[in-house]
Amino acid sequence: MTEIRTDKAVKSSGLTRRTALKGLGAAAGLMMGPGFVRYSQAQSAEPIRIGFQCHRTGIGAAYGRWYERTTNAAVKLINEAGGINGRPLEIVVEDDGTDPKRGAEVVEKFANQHKVDLVYGTLFSHVVTGSAPAAGELKIPYYVVSEGYHVASGKLNRYCIQPGITDVKAQVRSVAPWIASNIGKKVTLVFPDYAFGHDHRDFFGPAFQEQGGEVVAMLPIPPTETSFTRYFPQIPPDTDAIYHVMVGPAVLTFVKEMGEFFGSQGPALFGFIDSLEAVDLASPGLEFLEGSHFWEGSPRYLQPDASEAQKFYRDAVGIDENGASVNDPKDVSTAAHMFGCWETLYVIKAAMEAADYKGPEDRAKLIEATEAMTEFAEGKEHPQGDKTFNGKIHQCFGHQNISLVENMKLKVVHRTSIEDGIYEPEADYMTMPL
Amino acid sequence: MASAFVAVSRGEAMAHASERGHVLLLPTHYYVAGGALAVSLSFLVLAFLSPRPLEEMARKRLLLLALPSTGRTLASLLSFAVFACLVAAGFLGSRDPLSNPLPLAVWTLLWVGLTLAQGIFGNLWARINPWYGPWRVVMALTGRGEAGEPFRLPKAWGYWPAVMLLFAFAWFELVYLAPDDPARLAAACLAYWLFSFAGMLLFGYEDWARRVEFLSTFFSMIARLSPFEAKEEDACRQLALRLPGAKAVDSDPLPPSGVAFLLLALSSVSFDGFMRTFTWLGLIGINPLDFPGRSAVILPNSLGLAAMFAALVAVFLIAVALGDRMAARPAGLGQSAGLLVWSIVPISMAYHFSHYLTALLVNGQYALAALSDPLSKGWNLFGTAGFHVQAGVALGAQSAWMIWNAQVAAIIGGHMLAVVIAHVIAYRIHGSQRDAATSQIPLAALMVGYTVFGLWLLSSPTAG
Repeated sequence: MTEIRTDKAVKSSGLTRRTALKGLGAAAGLMMGPGFVRYSQAQSAEPIRIGFQCHRTGIGAAYGRWYERTTNAAVKLINEAGGINGRPLEIVVEDDGTDPKRGAEVVEKFANQHKVDLVYGTLFSHVVTGSAPAAGELKIPYYVVSEGYHVASGKLNRYCIQPGITDVKAQVRSVAPWIASNIGKKVTLVFPDYAFGHDHRDFFGPAFQEQGGEVVAMLPIPPTETSFTRYFPQIPPDTDAIYHVMVGPAVLTFVKEMGEFFGSQGPALFGFIDSLEAVDLASPGLEFLEGSHFWEGSPRYLQPDASEAQKFYRDAVGIDENGASVNDPKDVSTAAHMFGCWETLYVIKAAMEAADYKGPEDRAKLIEATEAMTEFAEGKEHPQGDKTFNGKIHQCFGHQNISLVENMKLKVVHRTSIEDGIYEPEADYMTMPL
Repeated sequence: MASAFVAVSRGEAMAHASERGHVLLLPTHYYVAGGALAVSLSFLVLAFLSPRPLEEMARKRLLLLALPSTGRTLASLLSFAVFACLVAAGFLGSRDPLSNPLPLAVWTLLWVGLTLAQGIFGNLWARINPWYGPWRVVMALTGRGEAGEPFRLPKAWGYWPAVMLLFAFAWFELVYLAPDDPARLAAACLAYWLFSFAGMLLFGYEDWARRVEFLSTFFSMIARLSPFEAKEEDACRQLALRLPGAKAVDSDPLPPSGVAFLLLALSSVSFDGFMRTFTWLGLIGINPLDFPGRSAVILPNSLGLAAMFAALVAVFLIAVALGDRMAARPAGLGQSAGLLVWSIVPISMAYHFSHYLTALLVNGQYALAALSDPLSKGWNLFGTAGFHVQAGVALGAQSAWMIWNAQVAAIIGGHMLAVVIAHVIAYRIHGSQRDAATSQIPLAALMVGYTVFGLWLLSSPTAG
């Protein structure tokens, strides 16, 4: 256990958990960042308060930890650069317990008790869908970092926005062309038999057919299954590739048994890193993944050609070249997703500046300003890459990474175009009243 | 809506599950078989040896040093001050349960850390509980003697009030939607402190602490495992060393309510493990890869918590009753159960350790950081506010292996000690080696079964 003093932690990991809380303005003068002088000279030094709906406890806690670190890193930088409209950002964390009912309670608390300007940061989709109605009723902007298709589907409301991370439909669509032209035309899908797996089944099949590919077999695995060997004989022998999206504690067993079944003879593998996010790829049992490919939202391992923005972001959050905490090499980050927090905060900043946001009375203006955005340029604000934003469906679109497992690390071998993931919008939030 | 659940499972793959994923790859069935064998063998060895030497060793006390007989009031007053600060922090500090010191102090430092400390060092809680000192002060100020309580708790109530409070506590911890919410926890702590304090003023500290205030009841029972014993002798307090569990062997028989209390303590921790398994989630119709959150399982988990308790009481009583009948000189179910239930203490301690080890390792660090800055004001009282929490101690294949082995050692060791304690108690009850051995066959079988259950809980797939 290494103790790291505050000053070092700020330097090396970006910050500690409370740097951003520590009254970034909450109680003026207590601990102001270097930007304090600027705040005091600004028209209003009242902080902009962002309610962070965080999975601190419950099944999402491991994600919550990294979402919080990324959030704190971005907030610190924004504040050092003068805040938003001359006002510092203050993060108010509430734990939603990764529970939709509690999520809705928390949104209400944010609006009525903490009187924050907006709510932000939710990952798990069932919490998003459970909390969204409260945000809509209270007319409080709700910026989620969830990756679900729920925002773009039009099933939420005008106050829910996902500007910092692409959704699963776009992710799945965008890998189809590369698989068809690089791995093979005949794919077997192996997925857990419930909504998450069904998303992949429903989004990948049509997109792959458009590319001249064919899904030759589908293997829905019951969610309670913990041994998989008996399913493998159902994979047709002419399969070029297995598209796998298994999740849960038995993922390692799945990979290990697949290795035992196929040996060196098997079809190619393509997976989503969701299965192994924050799990060290060099773990025993995962050897069979060597040479296979994964989707990654943002690369976990530092790539030789990484942009300056990407390096800057990684240093600020405090992850090393393996994507683990610089203070704790065993603590592998949720790199493929957590950049979304960083980018969402910068979208909020840009939207607040565009709307000349003054306070809760400007919440509707903030939504409209976000909807009016169309592009985010790659840079320190958007280190994962440039993106487009569709105001009608409140969803951004971006590049995806396809990475090869080489020496038990992920090496990006292809970066999809934004167009690869674009689909026909199915909704228009802008027609809903604010 | 079907498409809306993508992230749920993703978290599942990670949250607690990635560590459990590493455990699933270990040859855990060998450990389970080995554990069952070790506990069975301990019983067999004991059955063929004369219990007398062991019984005599259990009586031995090695005097270590004289203890100061004062300080209890002061320690408790200090603890009360800390408690008051923590409750204030719960209301006024960060809303984040991992930055606010109150949830960490209650769920990690008190419920996990202090339980283990009690088992190792003895009844520290008697000195550091936040009621004794304030009670003494009020007694002195009002000029009332320690015996001058206005009311008496009905004897017939036994430990039932503590049983009910422990159940409420376990329910709040395991089933309630937001036990970590700092303000709600602060309100609960404050209400409970006031309730207990009023009770102590009205009914006397000792009796209330023994039979109603469930933390005192629990901690004093767990402390019977400790090898350290503080005793008043010749007008001075002495600290002596004894065999671990010897104090449990010496304990008076518990009434049925006391038996229920100890079994509830064990069953609630067992249920904490069980409610996360695929088995339980499958049973209540929840997809374990798509755990919907606590709010969706309040009813089944409430019933499950009660059912686990009922089941443990049933198998324990059946085992003891059967054993008592098999003895040549039966002592009666009440007497046997009231004494033999003390053998549950090391198992309870082992479950506590195994089940909460990861939480202690990680949340203990959060607690260190939070205590330095209890109100999130940027303070650094103990120099730990900037502590980078090393979650990695509980992550990855290597940690999973180490934690699993520590858990196995605790579970097996706890059950072996339980077999030994039960054996000595049985010898004292029945007075013969033969009866001690025969009467213990059913209980030993139960302990082998509970070893297997405990190891299964720690090695089977779980959600969350």
